[in-house]
Amino acid sequence: MKQTIHRLLFAFHLTAAGLAFTACRDLLEPTPVQQLSDDKAITDAGSARSATIGVYDRVQAYYQLNWPVLGFLPGEDVRFNGTLNQFLQIDQNQLSADNVLITEAWTQMYQAVNGANNVIAGVPGVNDPLLPTTEKDQLLGEAYFLRALVYFDLGRGWGGVPLVLTPTRSKENGQGIRRSSLADTYAQVLADLTQAETLLPDATTRNRAVKASARALRARLHLYQKQWADAETYATQVIGNNNYRLVTPYRTFSTAPFLSQESVFELTFSNSDANSMWNNWFPSALGGQFNFQPVPAAIALLNDPTVGGSRSALLATTVIAGSNVTYGNLYSRSAQRDDPSYVLRLAEQYLIRAEARARQGKLTQALADLNAVRARAGVPASTAATADQLLLAIENERRIEFAFEADRWFDLVRTGRAGTVLGVTDQRRWVFPIPFNDLVADSDLEQNPGY
Amino acid sequence: MKLSTLLAAPIAVVGLTSTSYAQVANAQTVTGTVTDASDRSPLPGVTVVVRGTTTGASTDGNGQFSLTLPAGSNVLLVSAVGYQSQAISVTSSSVSVALKSAVKQLNEVVVTGYSEQNRKTLTSAISSVKGDELKDIPAASPDQLLQGKAPGVQVSANSGVPGGGIFIRIRGSNSVNASNDPLYVVDGVFINNTNLIATGLGNQVSSNPLADLNPQDIENIEILKDANATAIYGSRGANGVVLITTKRGKAGDKTRVTFNTYHAWSKAPKQYDLVSGSELAMLENERFLNDGGNPTQVPYRSVTSGGRGLPEEQSTYDRLSDVFRTAQTQSYELSAAGGSAKTQFYIGGGYFKQESVARPSAFDRFSLRVNLDNSVTDKLRIGTSTALSRTHRNVSSNDNNPVGVINSALFTRSNLSIYNPDGSYAKYGSFDNALALINNLNNDAVGSRVISNVYGEYRFLKNLTLRSSWSIDFNDMYENNFNNTLILAGQPRGTANSYLSRDITLLNEQTLNYHVDFGDHSIQAVVGNTIQKNTFQRTSLAGQQFPSNDLTTIASAATQTGSSSRSQAGLLSYFGKATYSFKQRYTADVSVRADASSRFGQDNRWGYFPAVGLGWRLGEESFVQDLNIFQELKLRASVGKTGNQAGISDFAALGLVQGGANYLDLPGTAPLQLANPNLSWESTRQWNVGLDAAVLQNRLVLELNYYDKYTSGLLLNVPVPRKTGFASVVQNYGAVSNKGIEVQLTANWLPKSAVQWSTTFNVARNVNKIEKLASPITTGSRDVFRLQEGAPLYSFWLYHQTGVNRESGDAEYEDVNGDGQLSVADRKLVGNAWPNYFGGVTNSVTYKGFDFNFLLNFEQGAKIMNMNRFFLVHGGTQSNIGYLREQLDRWQKPGDVTTIPRLTTVASSNNYGGVVQNLSDRYLEDGSFLRLRTLTLGYTLPKPAIAKAHLNSLRVYVQAANLFTITPYSGLDPEVNSQSGVSNTKNFDWATVPQPRTFQLGVTVGL
Repeated sequence: MKQTIHRLLFAFHLTAAGLAFTACRDLLEPTPVQQLSDDKAITDAGSARSATIGVYDRVQAYYQLNWPVLGFLPGEDVRFNGTLNQFLQIDQNQLSADNVLITEAWTQMYQAVNGANNVIAGVPGVNDPLLPTTEKDQLLGEAYFLRALVYFDLGRGWGGVPLVLTPTRSKENGQGIRRSSLADTYAQVLADLTQAETLLPDATTRNRAVKASARALRARLHLYQKQWADAETYATQVIGNNNYRLVTPYRTFSTAPFLSQESVFELTFSNSDANSMWNNWFPSALGGQFNFQPVPAAIALLNDPTVGGSRSALLATTVIAGSNVTYGNLYSRSAQRDDPSYVLRLAEQYLIRAEARARQGKLTQALADLNAVRARAGVPASTAATADQLLLAIENERRIEFAFEADRWFDLVRTGRAGTVLGVTDQRRWVFPIPFNDLVADSDLEQNPGY
Repeated sequence: MKLSTLLAAPIAVVGLTSTSYAQVANAQTVTGTVTDASDRSPLPGVTVVVRGTTTGASTDGNGQFSLTLPAGSNVLLVSAVGYQSQAISVTSSSVSVALKSAVKQLNEVVVTGYSEQNRKTLTSAISSVKGDELKDIPAASPDQLLQGKAPGVQVSANSGVPGGGIFIRIRGSNSVNASNDPLYVVDGVFINNTNLIATGLGNQVSSNPLADLNPQDIENIEILKDANATAIYGSRGANGVVLITTKRGKAGDKTRVTFNTYHAWSKAPKQYDLVSGSELAMLENERFLNDGGNPTQVPYRSVTSGGRGLPEEQSTYDRLSDVFRTAQTQSYELSAAGGSAKTQFYIGGGYFKQESVARPSAFDRFSLRVNLDNSVTDKLRIGTSTALSRTHRNVSSNDNNPVGVINSALFTRSNLSIYNPDGSYAKYGSFDNALALINNLNNDAVGSRVISNVYGEYRFLKNLTLRSSWSIDFNDMYENNFNNTLILAGQPRGTANSYLSRDITLLNEQTLNYHVDFGDHSIQAVVGNTIQKNTFQRTSLAGQQFPSNDLTTIASAATQTGSSSRSQAGLLSYFGKATYSFKQRYTADVSVRADASSRFGQDNRWGYFPAVGLGWRLGEESFVQDLNIFQELKLRASVGKTGNQAGISDFAALGLVQGGANYLDLPGTAPLQLANPNLSWESTRQWNVGLDAAVLQNRLVLELNYYDKYTSGLLLNVPVPRKTGFASVVQNYGAVSNKGIEVQLTANWLPKSAVQWSTTFNVARNVNKIEKLASPITTGSRDVFRLQEGAPLYSFWLYHQTGVNRESGDAEYEDVNGDGQLSVADRKLVGNAWPNYFGGVTNSVTYKGFDFNFLLNFEQGAKIMNMNRFFLVHGGTQSNIGYLREQLDRWQKPGDVTTIPRLTTVASSNNYGGVVQNLSDRYLEDGSFLRLRTLTLGYTLPKPAIAKAHLNSLRVYVQAANLFTITPYSGLDPEVNSQSGVSNTKNFDWATVPQPRTFQLGVTVGL
C-alpha cells in the first residue's frame, strides 16, 4: 500500500509537476513577437526613425478620407450619394455629436499627437553613434511639424482643443488638461512650427517635412489668424524658393509619379500602404462606391473654360445604363492605389499671399498672385479692381482650385462667409461637435455650444 | 491480464463464501439478464460496467451478460441508449435488471467535470441532452441542435448561412469585452471556438468552428450551468461548460454497422416586399415636390421633356428571385462500433453538404472519427478519441456590406435594369450586381481540423486511478479569394487574397480519481493539473492587377503584398474536487481550481476558484415517503466563483508599441495600447438553488433552478480621454449581473402502455443588468447599441418617435432632456434584445414501429432592429436605394394618421435624415416567436421483415423543419444577428439570410 502510494506520487510528480514547473516560465511569460513594450520604443537610431515614420502614418490615417471629407463635403460642390448617414449629416451641415466620422477623425488626430509627443520626448535622449545630431534634429523637426499640423487642423475644426504635449504612459496622463482657447491652440502651433523650422533640413523632399513645409503651414496659420503681413512673408519665402513652381497643365500635380514641383507637402501612398479614396468617387460601374458626386453646378463651373479651364481634368465621364455620368477624378489610381493626400500646394501659397496682400491694400501684387494661379489653369486673367472684388475672386478661385481637397468649408468659416455662401447661418455650427463618447469619458472636456 | 485473472480466481472463491449485503470483499463472476421494463423483452447491446472501473461487458442477443466483479466492487452501472441507466448492488452471482425507457430521469449517470456522478447525488445544475435526440436535425453544428432543448441555454443562429456562427448563452451574458461563449470540451479536449475565417463578410462571424464536429458522432452533451459544476474549469468556466462525449464501442458487443443518410430541400420561408418600378417613381416624384421642387421638373416625367419616363412607364425588375433558391442538403454517415473484452472501438465517417437558400454560399464537411479503448492489463487502459474533418465553405458577404449578394439585390432600385444595353451587368450607387456576384464570387475557405486525445489510465488500487491525457486541437483555415473584373471587389484589374490561419491548442492533463464506499458513506475525489498552450498564427497575401480573369492565383498578380502575425498564450492549472454522500440522501461537494494565465500582469497571475454544493434528497426521508406523493424530491444549493479570460488579446496587460505603422514603405511604429500590470480575470460569483421532484409514479418529473450571478472586475475596454492618444484601456472594471429561473417539466403520459408518449417542456427567464460601468459605451453600426449602468446589455439607443404630426406630416420625437430642440441628448434606450422568457417543447410518441416527434422553441419579448426597413423606408434620403412597400403608408395630406412621415430629404424635418439620421425606434420591432423547429414521422420496420434482407434494423422518416413561425416581426426571420462579429450587439437584421424551411427524407440502416 505504502509502496503503491509512493509509486503513485512519483508518477504524478513525473508527469504533472515536473513538466509543469520546467515549462512554467515559457508558458506563462511568452514574449510578444509582433509588438514592443512601450519603454523599448525609442532607444536607438532605428527605433527613433521608426517612431517618426509612425507619426506620418497616423497623419496619413486622418488625411486619407476623413479630413478631406470634412473640408469639401460641407461645401456646395459635392453631394453625398451613398448610404451612410454620418456623411449625409456632413453634407447637409447637420452634424450631431454622435457622428462617427467626427469621432474617428478626432481619435486619429490625437493618436498622431501622442506619436509626435513620444518622438519629441524620446529622441533627444537617444545615444547612438548611428544617429548623428543632424538626423536627430530632422526627426525632432518632423515631429514638431506634424504636431503643429494636427493641432492646426484640430483648431480650425473644433475651435480650441486640449493641448497635450507629453507622451501618454497611463490613462491618468493629461488629466486636468481642459480645452485651450483657439488663440492658445494656434499659439502652440506657431511655437511648434518655429521649432520645426529651426530643426528641419532645407531639403527638396516633398513627402517628409522640410523647412519650406513648416513655412508654408505657417503662412496658412497667419492667414487664419488674419496676420496678413506674416502670412505674406512666409508665403513669399515658399514661392521664392526655386524648388517650387506651378506645374502645367493643372493635372500634373495629381498625376503619377506625383511629388510634382508644385507640391510643398503631400502624403505618399503606395500599393502596400494603399489609398482607397478613389473608391469613394468612382461610380460602381468602375468599381467604386460613388459616395461623393460633384453636383451639376460644380460640374458646370469646372467645365467652363473661363472658370475651370484645365481644372476640368478634375472630372471624368462614363456611361452607365446608357446615360453619361460625371464623377470626380482627382483620386484616380484605382489599380495602383497610390493617390497621395494633398496637404500643402504652391497654388495655395499664391492665393494666401494674394489675400494677405489684398488685405494690406497691395491690390496689384495681389492680382498678380491670383492670376498666376489662373494662368496655370488656362483661364483668362481676373479683372477684379477693388479689394472686395479681389477677395471674392480669391475665394472663388480657391473653390475651383481645391475643389476636392480639404479646403472649402474651412475657408468659408475662416472668412466668416459660411452663412452667406452655404446658408449655415447658425454660427455655432461653424465648428464641429466634440465627440459625444469623449465628453462622457473625459470630464475635462466641454461641448461646443449648440450641440 | 491473464495472470491477474488467474490470481483473482481463488480469491473470488473465498469471497463468495463471505458475501455480505453491503460489500463483496473479493472478485466473483456475475451473470445477468437485462430486459425492457415495459414488455420484459430481452435487451441486446446493453453496457454493464463495474462502477469505478473499466471492467465491463455488453449483453448478447438474449439480453445476457457475464463479467468478473473485481474484489471490493459490488455496484454495476447498466446503461443503454434510449433507457434509463441503473446502478445495482450485486448481492448474488446472478442478477436481473429491468430497464425503464428513457424519459428525462433523475438517476442517470451524468458526466461532470473530470468525473461522473449519479444524478441522484448531483448538487449542481447540469442539463443533459442525448445524442439520439439530436440525430435528425439538418444542422451543420452540434451547438445549434441544442436549441430549445435545455432550460436556460439560449441558442440562436446568427443567420441561415450553413456552417455560420451561432449565438449561444448559458444563463445570460456575463461579460462586455471578454467572450460570452461557453467552454466546449470534446472527450476531454478543450477546443478552440474562434472563427478563423479572415475574409470580411459584412460584420458577420463567418464560421462556427463547432461545425467541424459531426453531430452524428455524439453520444451525449452535458451543459454545466452553475458554479459548482463549472468551478473545476476555473478561469474558463464562467460562461458555462458544454461537455460533448462521442460514441464509443462496448465490450463484448457484436460489431454494429450503421448507415445513415438524408436528403433535404430548403427554401426561404418569406420574401421582402418591395415596391414596383411605377410605385418607386411615384414616391420619388412626391419626394421631389415635398422638397420644394418645380412641378414641371419632377424626375419621372416624360422622356421627351427630359425626364426618366412617366411612373407608369417604369419597368419592375425582380432581383431577389435570382438570389434565393431551393437549396439542398445531403448527409451520409457510416459507422461501426463494437469490441472485445479487451478492445473497444467506434469508427465513423461522414459527408455533409448544405447549400444556403441565398446563392452562392454552401458548406460541406468530410469527417472521420476513431475512438479506441484497450485494456493493456487489468490495471492499465489506454485509448484515443480522434476526429479529423475537412470543411469547405463557399462564402459570400451579406449583412453590412454594399457589395453583398442580398444587399445588391434588395437595395438596388427596382425600376433599374439588371443589365446594361450592351448586355453587361448594370451596377448602381454603391451596390454591385447580384447576378454578377452569384456568377463570379470565388471565395473558398477550406478548414482542416484534428481534435485528438490519447490517454493512459492506471488503476493503482481498485478505487484509485491515475489518468494522464495528451490532447491537440489543430484548427487550420486556408482561404483563397479571387475577385475578377466583373464584380466591384475585383476592380479595376482583379484582386485576390489568400489567408492561412492556424489555431493550435496543446493540452496535457493528469487526474487522480479516488472513490470509496463504506457502509452508508460514499466519497469520491479527484485532483489534477493541466498545462495548456495556445498558439495563433496567420499569414495573409494579397494580389492586385491580374492579366486575365482566368489566372486566379496571386502568383499571376502584378502587385503582391503579404503579412504574417503570431500570438501565444499559456495556462497552468491545479484542481481538486470531493463529493461526500451519505445513504445517497445527503451530499456535499467541494471543489477548487487554481489557474495561472500568461495573459495577465505578473502580480495578478494566479486565480483561485472555489465552489461548494449541497444536496438533500428529502424524498428518502420517512416523513416525505409517508406522504406517498413523491417518487423523488430533492433540494440542491450551491455557490462558487468562476473566471473568464477569453476574448481579450494575449498581451492585453502590456503597454505596447506596434509595428506596421509604415510610411514611404519605411517601417514605422506607433503606440498600440496602455499598460495595465494589474490586469486579471473577471470573476463570476454564482449561487444556485434547485428542486428536483417526481410525482404520479414518475409520470411527471420537475426540475427547477433559480440562480444569481454577479460578475465583477469585468475585462472592460474602459474609455479613456482620447486626448491621451488612446480610446480605451483594458481594465478590470465594472460589473454585470444575471438572475434567472429555469423550469423543466417532463411528462411520461402513458407509462404502462404500448404507446410511449413523453413531453418535455422547458422555459427560462434571465434578467441581465449592467451593475457598474465607467461610462456609457456605444457599439455597433451607427452606435445603435449603448451600454449603460443600470440597463441590460444589448440595449438599443435610438430616438423615440412619438408620432407623425397629422397636419405637417413630419415625425415627432420625444424631447428627452426637454430643451426644446432635438440633439443627441434625446437618444435613449428604447428596448433590448433579451427575451423575457424562452424555451422549448419536445414531444415524442412511439407506437410499435412508428415514432412521431416535434420540437417547438420560443422566445418572447426580444426587440429586433430591422435595418432593412431603416434603409428601405428612407423617405427619399437614399438616392440609390429602393423602397419597401411600407413606404407607401407615408403621410400624404393633412389628417393622415400614420407612423411613416412625409417623404422629404430636408434635413431640418428630421423625418429620415438630419440629426436623427433615421435612427428612429420606428424600425425597432418585437421579435417574439414560436417556431415549429422540427416535426418528424418515422417508421422502424419490424425485424422479421428486414431479416430477409440481412439487415439488423431499418428506419425511414420524413421531417419538416421550420414549418411555421408565429411572430409579429415583419422581417424574414426573427432569429437573426447580423452583426455577430461586433461585440455587444444582438438582434440586428440587415440583409441577412433567413432560417430556411426544410423538408427532409431520411433512412437509417443497421447492418
